[in-house]
Amino acid sequence: MPPILLQTAAVTKINVKSIPQRFWLSLSTVVAVALVVMVLLAFLAMANGFQRTIAGSGSDEIAIVLRAGSQAEINSGITREQVRLIEEAPGVARSAEGRPLVSAELYLVVDGVKRATQTKANLPLRGIGPEGAALRKGISIVQGRMFTPGTNEIVVGKSLLKEFEGFELGQTASFATTRWTVVGVFEAGGSVFESEIWGDLPVIQSLFNRNNVFQTARVRLTSPAALAQLKQYVENDPRLKLDAKSEVEYFADQASQTTDLIQKLGWPLAIAMAFGALAGALNTMYSSVASRATEIATLRAIGFGGFPAFIGTLAESLVLAAIGGAVGAIATWLIFDGITASTLGGSFTQVVFSFQLSPELVAQGVVLALIVGLIGGLFPAFRAARLPIIAGLQGIG
Amino acid sequence: MATKALIELVDVSKRFTKARETITIFDHLSMTIAEGDFIAIMGPSGSGKTTLLNLLGGIDTPTSGEIRFAGQRIDGLNEAELARWRAANVGFVFQFYNLMPMLTAQQNVELPLLLTKLNSGQRRQHVETALKIVNLADRAKHYPREMSGGQQQRVAIARAVVSDPKLLLCDEPTGDLDRAMADEILSILQLLNKELGKTVIMVTHDPEAAKYARRILHLDKGRFIERELAA
Amino acid sequence: MNDLSLIRKNLFRKRMRAALMIVSIFFAFAIFGVLGAFLRAFYAGQDLAQADRLVVVNKINFTQPLPISYFNRIRNIEGVRQVSHANWFGGYYQDPKNFTVVYAVEPQTYVDIIQDLIELTPEEKKAFISERTGAVVGEALARKWGWKVGDRVPMGSNIYTQRNGSQTWDMTIVAIARPTSPRVDTNFMMFQYAYFNETRTFDKDTIGWILLTTTSPGINDRVSKTIDAMFANSPYETSTDTEKAFNKAFIAQLGNIALIVGLVVGAAFVTILMVVGNTMAMSIRERTREIGVLKTLGFPRGRILKLVLGESVLLTLLGGLPGMAVAFLATLALRDSISQFVPGLAVTADIYIAALILMLALGIVTGIIPAVNAMRLRIASALGRA
Repeated sequence: MPPILLQTAAVTKINVKSIPQRFWLSLSTVVAVALVVMVLLAFLAMANGFQRTIAGSGSDEIAIVLRAGSQAEINSGITREQVRLIEEAPGVARSAEGRPLVSAELYLVVDGVKRATQTKANLPLRGIGPEGAALRKGISIVQGRMFTPGTNEIVVGKSLLKEFEGFELGQTASFATTRWTVVGVFEAGGSVFESEIWGDLPVIQSLFNRNNVFQTARVRLTSPAALAQLKQYVENDPRLKLDAKSEVEYFADQASQTTDLIQKLGWPLAIAMAFGALAGALNTMYSSVASRATEIATLRAIGFGGFPAFIGTLAESLVLAAIGGAVGAIATWLIFDGITASTLGGSFTQVVFSFQLSPELVAQGVVLALIVGLIGGLFPAFRAARLPIIAGLQGIG
Repeated sequence: MATKALIELVDVSKRFTKARETITIFDHLSMTIAEGDFIAIMGPSGSGKTTLLNLLGGIDTPTSGEIRFAGQRIDGLNEAELARWRAANVGFVFQFYNLMPMLTAQQNVELPLLLTKLNSGQRRQHVETALKIVNLADRAKHYPREMSGGQQQRVAIARAVVSDPKLLLCDEPTGDLDRAMADEILSILQLLNKELGKTVIMVTHDPEAAKYARRILHLDKGRFIERELAA
Repeated sequence: MNDLSLIRKNLFRKRMRAALMIVSIFFAFAIFGVLGAFLRAFYAGQDLAQADRLVVVNKINFTQPLPISYFNRIRNIEGVRQVSHANWFGGYYQDPKNFTVVYAVEPQTYVDIIQDLIELTPEEKKAFISERTGAVVGEALARKWGWKVGDRVPMGSNIYTQRNGSQTWDMTIVAIARPTSPRVDTNFMMFQYAYFNETRTFDKDTIGWILLTTTSPGINDRVSKTIDAMFANSPYETSTDTEKAFNKAFIAQLGNIALIVGLVVGAAFVTILMVVGNTMAMSIRERTREIGVLKTLGFPRGRILKLVLGESVLLTLLGGLPGMAVAFLATLALRDSISQFVPGLAVTADIYIAALILMLALGIVTGIIPAVNAMRLRIASALGRA
């Protein structure tokens, strides 16, 4: 190994091993970097979890039909005639018996109580027809059974049950004057549907004075490509002032606004904190160079060049930052990953999601940490490389 | 010469315990220092020179016995009272000058005056006078790092006398200086003693330095051997 | 020279070190100021809501409608002072993505009820009441699109359709409403319920909610209960609450914003505590001998404590005050662009006061241990002359 590398390796080892001598100060850098990484990753995990819940809820084999211009289900309105026309559309898959796989639905908002804060929450109550459950991927009843059509029975999603009160199996929920019995709990692969309450469409329509009113229609397509046919059919018919979208597209739009907002908050905050941590790192490193001035000067007097001193100091800073980054990532994972939260989604209703950390996100956090370590070590490293030998030997650092 | 006693040590003992061993520095030591005297204290290391200076300056208290200054006992005073006493009565000169690096010579000398009720104009007067005595008026606005060892020590002396204390305690004041600078410093101390009547007690290991004093006391294992010098 | 200049000189002995600590503190307080303002603005609806204003919504959920007949029935209840009603229009301008807050209101009563928030001249009020397609636009919204009085603007609704099949309502701007205080949100538009109701195709003769004021906050509870009792067991049951409680509940739905802000600010301050605290301790340790000298000169313990604490407090002030200044500028710059989510972003007086208290507290906490150690230093050992 060429002498310069040997020297560099030796000096780096000395530097890193000397970290415990400046224990508290080095610790403060590690903590500062760890906190920066935690703030960043917590926000990113929030955005990621929210995104996954909503974006992961759609299937490209299902089209959702809304009134033209509606941004969300709750704003939409479809008539019975329009539903019939959709059932006749090309691209609509049919059951073995020839029934069109179309589910006309009603989406209402009812009040619930959030367990954690005991405050009011908007919960979605969806009236679905017989095809409704089948038109969503990954649905299975995990407790109880499906509601009986024609009755006041409802089933609730697992996530909703976890976050909000009053919907345990067998309980009676009341929305104003109406009373409903919870007969089942369903799972939906963690998608947004798990934050919903489902009931029989005609019953809901009549009890909420919405007879013959629907809001959306979900259509199973014969294939994802069939969406184009359906869209054309809907656009060409003047009686159908509707939009047909793939469910995937619909949910992607819903998610993006909130996800963007969270990310727009998280990054600037993390960067502002990173500057603060950077100041701390620089402080630690300058102090490190100063306290080891004699050591560095001695090595230089022996014949070690400035380059190894430079690399050694830089390495020390990077090591501290890397430890901070790792601690921050692990702490975020332990504390935040998997915790559930809920916030308002597209239709002004609560969406339950969980914080989700991923390797890509952790990488971003670590990169931020290393940048802090790099800049935090760069200038002190220059100083170490150019330390006047005599002054250093005299202990004047 | 029958002069007033400034300092009296009466039956002073100083012991301290270190790892279950009791070490006795002084055991029933008594001495009197007259006002206006210039005493050099010499002795091997471990003889108690430093401890004696500490006791005389009120930095340390005796285990038993009395220390009197101008008739007043200082061995029983608490820390705050000792601080006040020191500010009024004692000036210290150390081997390594102990100046504040971020203050100019002028500001260093002014420090003791911050403990008084003098206003800034009056303080400035005192500082000017002190710097004149040590011949450093032209370097008033320089920082310690811009001065030689001898100059720094002169600033330290100016600081020690700016409040016009009766007593000057010097701990190896020329220990870090070359011959020429040392002579300068010692001349100033002599001047302070002869012209301004200050009582100077100087600890030194340098026999040449000791010659500037009126009396030389040798300390060995906590006991004195005295030798008088012609002034 | 005095104690303050001594403190200052001590602080800047190692200029780079002092600068770095100041920078660290600066960022933490900038974050504190901005997030504090954010939090304030978020919950502003709560504070601005008058104590005697009540909101009546459908009991099932506030997105469900109420019959228009309820308006008159509530008017006649004892203790009710002013009443008005409003509908959520689901508005946008030109593109559905340009979400706009638009209400269809009862013109005369609504402007009266919100006069503590919005200012209109008597002429403007008259114009709003008399012009059928007239709309009052808040200052911020008008500024955003460059609207002036007299402009005709087509507002789209993503909920309702007109009888003629279109989803846009043409409105004429009759007034630009000014806020009574900078924290009031003026990113809204209101137009006549009559115009809205006549032309929409469904949910006719229904309203979204009723806003009312009582003759005194003390009877709020009684009036609320009376209203809800009046409509109990009807197809449209009501839930009446103070505007304050209503806004609070709504904000709570977004998540525990206060907690998030608290955690981030807390993290920033922990960083300072560690960095500055350690550096102060190190700096004072390096000065052991000098402190010993000060003590030999006769400086009493209390003064030494003051000198050290003064240093750490000066440090936090030097970092914190500029930090708050930057927070002020940042919120000023951000106010308009994020007014859609968070109206009236501003650093308020109580945030400045809290910041000052925090600066002092931080200064004391980071300096107290080194200060006490310095105070207790034994002269002999400090001078290395034990």
